[in-house]
Amino acid sequence: MKLFTPLFTVLFSCAIAFSAQAKDQRDYHEMVYDSGCKTCHDQGMKAFPSDEACLQCHDMGELAKQTQRKGHEAAQNPHDSMHYGQEAPCMECHGEHTTKQAICMDCHNFDYPKFK
Amino acid sequence: MQTRRSFLKFGASAAAVGALSPVAAHASSGDIHWDESHEIVIVGSGFAGLAAAVEAGKLGAKDIVIFEKLGVYGGNSTLNAGQACFANTDLQKKLGIKDSVDLMVQDQLKAGRGYASEELLRHSAELGPYVYQLTKDCGCVYRDHIINTGGTSATRSHQVIERSGAGFIRPMLKTARSYGVKTKIRHKFEHLITAKDGTVLGIQVRKGYHFGHEHSGQLINVKAEKGVLIATGGFGANVSFRKALDPNLGEEVGCTNARGATGDGLVAMLSEGAMPVHLSFIQSGPWASPDEGGFGYGAGFSLYNFPHSIAIDRNTGERFMNETADRKTRADLEVQRRDKDGNPNPALLIAPKHEAQKDPSMENVLKYNVAWEFDSVEAIAKHFDLPLNPLKKQVDDWNSFVKTGEDTQFGKRMNMSTGIYLTAPFIVQRLWPKVHYCQGGIQINTKAEVIAAKNGQPIKNLYAAGEVSGGVHGVSRLGGCATPECMAFGVTAARSMMKA
Repeated sequence: MKLFTPLFTVLFSCAIAFSAQAKDQRDYHEMVYDSGCKTCHDQGMKAFPSDEACLQCHDMGELAKQTQRKGHEAAQNPHDSMHYGQEAPCMECHGEHTTKQAICMDCHNFDYPKFK
Repeated sequence: MQTRRSFLKFGASAAAVGALSPVAAHASSGDIHWDESHEIVIVGSGFAGLAAAVEAGKLGAKDIVIFEKLGVYGGNSTLNAGQACFANTDLQKKLGIKDSVDLMVQDQLKAGRGYASEELLRHSAELGPYVYQLTKDCGCVYRDHIINTGGTSATRSHQVIERSGAGFIRPMLKTARSYGVKTKIRHKFEHLITAKDGTVLGIQVRKGYHFGHEHSGQLINVKAEKGVLIATGGFGANVSFRKALDPNLGEEVGCTNARGATGDGLVAMLSEGAMPVHLSFIQSGPWASPDEGGFGYGAGFSLYNFPHSIAIDRNTGERFMNETADRKTRADLEVQRRDKDGNPNPALLIAPKHEAQKDPSMENVLKYNVAWEFDSVEAIAKHFDLPLNPLKKQVDDWNSFVKTGEDTQFGKRMNMSTGIYLTAPFIVQRLWPKVHYCQGGIQINTKAEVIAAKNGQPIKNLYAAGEVSGGVHGVSRLGGCATPECMAFGVTAARSMMKA
């Protein structure tokens, strides 16, 4: 039995890992999954990742450039909006294991066709 | 809309969970473990909290912290039309507008229907020009056009160029930080920490909180050397709370507020014995659109256009209200527009394009299906199934009022629509009220001190400002009058703390 315990623990923790992975996950984050859950879950597995976690790989300034809008719609850039500038944390709009929508949509009928 | 509703449900259940948290911590100051200590502790990063932070910074406070529950700054203050009513500004003088503190207070007392506090309104109005200058010093930029909001006898609603509260919040946040103010998101205020005699020593905060996940983050105790300012806003987004106070405001009624408007600060102060005032006076915005969530774009469009437009009942094809009456008058009348089965049948705001196009809001409402363009009265009647002849007559009648400068139908003040005839093409938006503002809250005095229910005396070291305070406006607040009041009492709280 004693020998069995570590094995059981390993199997059990795999099951937990798989249970998280059974939820939504982005295939382009495969590399991050390969390097382990703690890559993002920098505050322990029971807590939300910190707001800095995504910024290890993503840069808000660059994202703002990618989602730039012109003229009248410039302020509707979700990564550099009139209300929050570049300060809105990623997790306010994006979920890795849960489906979310941009907070803008609380009040606006915006169309963000590439939103993930 | 559905998503908005699911949020509201979510918010309500979240708040219910929150209500189970420990109510208060009484302790002698010696036996509390303090994780942090600050000179001034501010809860909430809206108009009131930021104005207090900026003023305290100006007065030389060295250690100010602002805790914000959400992941973004500004709360509900960043989601509005960016208007502030001030009396006696240089811009009014430049535009030849005669106004005074007395006139502003009178207008507000009238909307308050006998319940408003003249003392608090006067205090706020007198500070108006100071607040106006403070915002400009922070880098807020006003339009040259002053808006005429409902229920006012002088044109005094100054609007920032963004036409959104963001035009106040972002420069003020930047200015606060330039004074060394620490700003922290995802910090949810849980409750006050008081000494045995009721003096407020500090607060308990949930650090690392994610909205809707009531047990996320960790609890920390934060000591406040000079005082705690609760600037947490209203409870418009807390459906169970607001419905208990006004049965007419259940799930099916929309809300313009930010997600965070759940009333946490209010409940925490009530549990410390603060005096509740007018909690059932909850206002709906008469300029809201049922074709988008929250505050959206429709509000800005109709605010701009109400003075020179008509609101039409779809059953009769005729006007049913003074389009620039106070909010309560209009919202109460709008919500009565029903079809023969009693289902909501939102009224139509019909605006002349030649005037509507002068404001950028038109482009937004057309692009995002909040309003539509029609090239004739017939086209409107056909699209919305209105009786054509009464509608035609109504438009003609209205244009005769524009000509004579007198609205014999509803007594609207016509000097804002001089020469602006209602002619094709038209821009049409639907109107249906949404919960917008809680006039009620806890009682404060002109020092922004929170008053205890049991003896009418201030609770030591506890201050409140903005929508969380109650009794200022009475039954109904006038448009553009929360922003200056939030800021005036934020400034006042900072001055009180720095003198204390």
